Formats: sequence, structure tokens, C-alpha cells
Amino acid sequence: MPRLLLLLPTATYRTAAFVEAARRLGVELTVASERPSTFQAANPTGLMTLDLAHPERAAEQAREFARVYPLAGVVGVDDDTAVVAAAIAGALGVRGNPVAATEAARDKYEQRELLSAARVPVPRFALHRVNEDPRGIAGRVPYPCVVKPLRLSASRGVMRADTPAQFVAAFGRLRRILAEPDVAACGEPARRILVEEFVPGAEIALEGLMVDGGLRVLALFDKPDPLDGPYFEETIYVTPSRLPSDAQRALAICAERAALALGLVQGPVHAELRYNERGAWLIELAARPIGGRCTGALRFGTGDSGLGDGASLEEIILRHALGLPIASLEREVCASGVMMIPVPRPGVLRQVEGVEAARAVPLVDVVDITAHPGETLVPWPEGSRYPGFIFARGPTAEGVEQALRAAHARLRFVFDSTD
Amino acid sequence: MTPGDIRISAEPIDSGRCKFLVSEQLHGGGVRRFASRDEAQGSPLAEAIFAIPGADVVEVIVSGNLVTVVKQSPAPWPVVGKAVGQAIRAALAGDRPAVAAKPAPAAGASATADDVLYERVADLFDQQVNPMVARHGGRVELIDVQDAVVMVRMAGGCQGCGMADVTLRQGIEAMLHQHVPEVRGVVDITDHAAGSNPYFAAAKK
Repeated sequence: MPRLLLLLPTATYRTAAFVEAARRLGVELTVASERPSTFQAANPTGLMTLDLAHPERAAEQAREFARVYPLAGVVGVDDDTAVVAAAIAGALGVRGNPVAATEAARDKYEQRELLSAARVPVPRFALHRVNEDPRGIAGRVPYPCVVKPLRLSASRGVMRADTPAQFVAAFGRLRRILAEPDVAACGEPARRILVEEFVPGAEIALEGLMVDGGLRVLALFDKPDPLDGPYFEETIYVTPSRLPSDAQRALAICAERAALALGLVQGPVHAELRYNERGAWLIELAARPIGGRCTGALRFGTGDSGLGDGASLEEIILRHALGLPIASLEREVCASGVMMIPVPRPGVLRQVEGVEAARAVPLVDVVDITAHPGETLVPWPEGSRYPGFIFARGPTAEGVEQALRAAHARLRFVFDSTD
Repeated sequence: MTPGDIRISAEPIDSGRCKFLVSEQLHGGGVRRFASRDEAQGSPLAEAIFAIPGADVVEVIVSGNLVTVVKQSPAPWPVVGKAVGQAIRAALAGDRPAVAAKPAPAAGASATADDVLYERVADLFDQQVNPMVARHGGRVELIDVQDAVVMVRMAGGCQGCGMADVTLRQGIEAMLHQHVPEVRGVVDITDHAAGSNPYFAAAKK
């Protein structure tokens, strides 16, 4: 069987999904992380340490490894390891993206520069340093606007401002977020702030797979809760989209143009788009699958029963990277949705009540509370961790959305009284 | 206690395996593994799970308040999981123990193949596996060997660790494959969600 190199940073939450997908495929698996496993000496073909912070160095390490143990494919699981995977793929001559494309996808400013130059519809934007005086910028900003960091994910630090006063406040607040140790550690990108016009309209998420330079749309998710700010915490995703077919086509075309403008030709893409009377707008595109454990809402391949055959998004991604046959890229027939449970307020969580009642809601499949008792919940924009997820499936997107809302309404978050 | 008081959370591992963590203890006598409907006879919980229509369940493992179900059908876990939840509630509400005690070997019987394997695996864990995971503050407990399938529970830095599945598959399973090739598989029965001090804390986006 071919050998796959899977790049798993130690902080990822995607480990089990990708490792188990590799097991199902029966491929030889080598897992690489930035820190050594204690089993590395015992299993030198299955485990390795790579300098994930330096893609070129990692590619050299992988090339040395592949001289002894040939690698047929490489997969990264997030924005950073997508860059490393591209460097390794280039070094090994296996399927992958150009490094520059994945770097551009990771950096919101560079991405907008390339997309704008390629005439992909993107919001007007400008880049500023965190130490600039926002009062000097406020007069030049188109309102409403959005301030956002270059690298953070899950809408952490993203804020809308409708007035100069709100802009000054949002800029200062983002500056404080960027100074937090975990963020400042990413270096220069944490010293820049992107300011762009707010694009009104419905927001949609597109999950896709680039195959030899063409986009295959795997799923289009509606986000029925308006994302109009001032913060942009996600809530409900439901697929299939209820937008008219011409709108869906326009969104797919926009996403494909964006991916190609960045230079992405192979592998997963996740795009956030808006759609309004002026058409489709590309807000962001990443060279990785959807985050937030939301891949659990997707299954591929349909049988007579209408149920998915169990092919997960991770399995599709691994098969594609290795050039293995993919039976179907068609999502299961039924509607599916996920709710990223909002953080109700800041505080130390004591317990979540009503979980069983939420699970009892018809069409609800899973209520997964990932926050632990004693965990401090931090709302957006400083936070980026959802306390849990609700998954639902059903015959219609409307029914799935209603089920998610009904289940969420049965949950009650109890906080420590000292908060 | 009413069935409504029982809390069950599902933790799918992949499309074929899912753990169910129950707020009540289901079986206090160690681990019981059922690899067929016949083996499940006498244990109402396992009988009911094997009988779930369309699930094609091939294995049920019960330990304490944890149930691991292995299925072959394409039916998604969210669908099968509801039926498993009903089976758990029904078994807890019944008059008989949800899981029968493991049959004792016949008096005078020689050690079974699993007993022999257990000793070899335990030795491997003592000599090699646990010294390795101890470097990350972890510990791997050998719970049982049934039908050449090894059941382990992770603790310390391994419990809830973001790389626990890598440790299990690329570390422990690989070592077992090398040193005890008769072992047919490894099942992790850890409640990772309860891990309070994981060595690598996975992000929760």
C-alpha cells in the first residue's frame, strides 16, 4: 500500500478523524508533528518529527525520510501545515499545491491583494500596523467597515464598526488581542491589522476539493443567522443551500476563481462568501477543510437507503492526496446541519443542563458539549472556542435548522456563582 | 432514577466505532467484550445493541460506565446512536444486570490463549510502553485481552491528549504488531473527555 505522510500539529483537534480515516483506507501511515512522540524510536517509519515552523526545512527532512521510505502523498490539516505539505509535495514530486498559493491563502492581506488583482469580487481593504493611531485612520475608512487580524481563525478578533468612534474602539480592542502571548507568537502577522468594507448579504460557506485545477463543490452551507456584527461568531450551518441555483452557481464560480487566483490546484478548500444584489463576494478562502469539528456534518456517497456510506471528508482528502479512486464526491441525500453553540456569557462553566432534552429533539443526531466543567468560556471577539456542537439531519434544510434551534433552546449553561 | 435522568454522550471514533459515556455504571466487573450475538446472550445490554436493526453491530465492549460499539453498516452514528441510547436506558431500567459477569474458566482448565496473550502484553506494557508514555506524564493500563483484542485505558498525560490516537495507533498498536503479532486489535476505552491534564491540549474551535 502507498505510504501517506500526515502532518498533525500537536495542538490540532483533527487527529482522530484523520488517523482513523487513514486506517480505513489501509494505507501505510507516517505521522509527523513538530514535537517528538515518545514512540518515535520504536516506530521510526510511522512517526517522525518535522520542523513545521519552517516549511523548507521540513521538506528537506521529509525528502531524507522518503529516500528510505517512499511517500506517495502528503496532507496538512490546517492553514500552517497546508504550507508545509505544499513544500514537501514539491520536494517529493507528489500531488500538492505550490507553496506560494498556500501562503497566500493563509494570509488575509496577501490573499486580498491577489484576488483583487485577479478581479475576484472582494471587499475594499487596507493594511495597517497595530501601532498606528486609529484616530488618524478613522476618517479614511469606508463605513460600515470590519477590522480583522491577518492570521487568526474562527473569526477571533473580527469586529464591525459603523462610525469613527466604533472604529477607534475596535482597533484598540484588536490591538490588545494581537498582544496576547499565543497570538503575538506568530510574529509579523500579529503586528498588522486589516481594515475592509463590510459587505452586506447572506453569508455562505463552501466546502470544496481542488482536483487538477478545477473546483469540485462538496457542500454549500447556508448560515441562516445574520452575520452583521459587531462580532462574527458562527452559529448555524445548513446544507444543501436554499439559495436559488443561479446564486449557487455564482458562488461556486467565485470560489473557483479565487482558488485559481491564489494558485491552488489540489486538495481541500474552505471558502466564506457573501451573496447580495451585486452577486457573489469572496470573503476568505483557506487551503484546508472546514474547521470547528464541522466535518462531522458531511458524509459522501449515497446508496439506495439515502444514507451516506460513511465516507468522511477526511477520507476523501486522503484518497485525493494519494491518487486513490474516489467512489463519489456527492454528499448524502438528506439535509444536514451543525450549530456551533454560542458562548452565552464570559465565566467559569459549572455545568450544561438540558443536554438530554436537546438530544431528544427530532432530527437531532448529536449534542456534543466539548467544554469541561471549570473551563473559562470567553465570548467573541477575544474568544474562538465554541463550548459545543449540535448536529442534525433530516429531509429538508428548514427542518434541520428548526431542530438545531429547538435543541439549543433546551440547553442551559450554568456558571460558577463567583463570576 | 428514571430513564430521563440517565445522561449519555456519544463520542464517534470513526464511521465504524463509537464510544458512549453513560452517567450510570453499567458493569462493575471489569471489561466485557462481546464479539457476536451468541456471546451477548445473557447480557441484556449487549443483546439489545446487537439487535439494533440495520446497524450490523459486530462488537460491543462494556467497562464501567463506558460502552464501545463497533458496527459494519453504513448507517451513520447519529442514527445508530439513538438506538444504542435506548438500549442503554432499557438495560438500566431492567431487573437483570445490564451485563452478566464474565464466565469463570472451568476448574482445572489450563490458561486460555487470551490469558497467555495478556501476560505477554502486560509484560510489553511494563517493560516498554509505559516507560515511553511516562515521559509525557502518561500511563496506559491494560484492561483485558478478549479474543486476542487488547483493551486499554489511557491515563495521566495521555487522557484527553490531542495526540492520543497517534500514541494508540502509531505507538502502542505498532509495538504490539511487532512484539505480539497474535494480537488482532487494540481498543481504547478511555473517557478522553474527562482528561484534566493532557500532555498536548487539543484546540477546541
